[in-house]
Amino acid sequence: MNRDEIYAKLTEIFKENLDLDEIELTDETTADDVEGWDSLAHIGLIAAIEQEFGFRFAMKEVVNLHNVGEMVDLILQKIG
Amino acid sequence: MLFSSTVFLFLFLPIVCLLHLLVRKELKDYVLLLASIFFYAWGEPRYVAVMLLTIIINYVGAILISKYKCKKTLLLLTILGDLSFLFYFKYFNFFVENINELFGDHIDFIKVIMPIGISFYTFQAISYVVDVYREEVEPQKNIYKLALYITLFPQLVAGPIVKYHDVADQIENRTVDFEKVAYGVKRFIVGLAKKVLLANTLGAVADKVFTQPIDQLDCMTTWLGAICYTFQIYYDFSGYSDMAIGLGSIFGFKFLENFTYPYISKSVSEYWRRWHISMGSWFRDYLFLPLQRALSLSKTYGKLSRRLGRRKINILLTAIALLVTWFLIGFWHGAGWSFVVYGLYNGFFIFLETLTGWNRDRKSFVGRAMQHFYTMFVVVLGFVIFRSDTMNYAWHYLLTMFGAERGETMYHLIYYVDRIEIIALIVGAICSAPLCRKMLEVEGRNQLRIAAVNLWLLALFILSAASIAASTYNPFIYFRF
Repeated sequence: MNRDEIYAKLTEIFKENLDLDEIELTDETTADDVEGWDSLAHIGLIAAIEQEFGFRFAMKEVVNLHNVGEMVDLILQKIG
Repeated sequence: MLFSSTVFLFLFLPIVCLLHLLVRKELKDYVLLLASIFFYAWGEPRYVAVMLLTIIINYVGAILISKYKCKKTLLLLTILGDLSFLFYFKYFNFFVENINELFGDHIDFIKVIMPIGISFYTFQAISYVVDVYREEVEPQKNIYKLALYITLFPQLVAGPIVKYHDVADQIENRTVDFEKVAYGVKRFIVGLAKKVLLANTLGAVADKVFTQPIDQLDCMTTWLGAICYTFQIYYDFSGYSDMAIGLGSIFGFKFLENFTYPYISKSVSEYWRRWHISMGSWFRDYLFLPLQRALSLSKTYGKLSRRLGRRKINILLTAIALLVTWFLIGFWHGAGWSFVVYGLYNGFFIFLETLTGWNRDRKSFVGRAMQHFYTMFVVVLGFVIFRSDTMNYAWHYLLTMFGAERGETMYHLIYYVDRIEIIALIVGAICSAPLCRKMLEVEGRNQLRIAAVNLWLLALFILSAASIAASTYNPFIYFRF
């Protein structure tokens, strides 16, 4: 799976979990940029990503994910 | 030793700065460590031992965690050690008093005196062992360096709560240069002025109101007291943080910001991302997120999510995690029920905002104004609970604010404020918005502007120093926690 494919999947997960019609994710997107990405949505996103890609995040990863770019890097590393 | 005391400003700080500049690079850590222990021992000689013991426990704990398989048990034991000190020194009195109250018993006990700063350095210690456990950092082999992280005098007694992974590199390697020292000095003066000129002045008003028996207050007076306290605590604590960040910079450290204009927030959630950030993020990283995560990985979660649906179960577990976190945030502030209520009160609004989406910014000006008004309303009322010694007092104070109760014998408003205090209130309100933010930035390099700012800071320093010399009222609010 390459970055673009991961992005496509992530966009779907975000839309579904945050109840948004449109969202554009970039490497620099952070929780502050996305409507409704708060502590409640975060846990849903994490769970959905884990289910979709089939791996577990470690605690330090849950705490230290600063933007979507880092999230994609991590997913690539985990499934690679 | 207070930052805003003459001993600190004119004796301790100059001597430490000079020594720190003069000694070789390898010795700088030791100068700072000795200075920090001296700084602590100045006011609290008997309790230096508790702090040193905390350092040893966490030093050994972290090394064992990194070496052995039973990491989790070792982590929990180390944290238990840290928390048992905190519990004994901070909460023992409170628990015995509550047991006495509850059962009508009279367990006699000698009151335990709380060592200053214990809430802060204990949290730093926990941050260190958890970071090692999560393999974010290597365990510190040199006990003196770990001791420096925990005791560093700029942040020892009232924060910011520095997380180990944020400064691990700086502890190993940092440089001091002219620019950092200059920035540090300026930042320190800004903090000192905030504390001495604004917080102390407004604090005098708030104290006058809040020490008045409740039956001698009316609606206007209670609002005056609450608003003055709201600005007092902001300038007291953010001023302290400025001083700490400034001192850190003088010694080559870069601490994260602790306040970013909390009073411009448009939701309670946003407010807590701007107020005492180092504490909020500590609770988020080391309690809220792990707890929420642990709940979501439990077997019950799977079972319930099939029955109730993902969204509902996520709401439930977030509510549980928020409840526990905000209970403990309240309790961390002090061993008293009004602090617990204060924590839960804030957690309640955050939960409500999360659930309803109120914390999403409105587009229209009126909508945003309403959001801001609502936030400050919650914040000011929250501080009434925070400031009150008992819940009973807080309750009657709030009733008086809303006109449901009214005292009998009252002083005129003029009794509580004079002209200078009114000016301080206006200046305080203006400066709590990010208007003067650019003052410390040197980017423009406009010589005239830099000179003007420096002159202004010098004037602030002289005014603050004069004010310190003339007054006796000086305690920092957050030293109690």
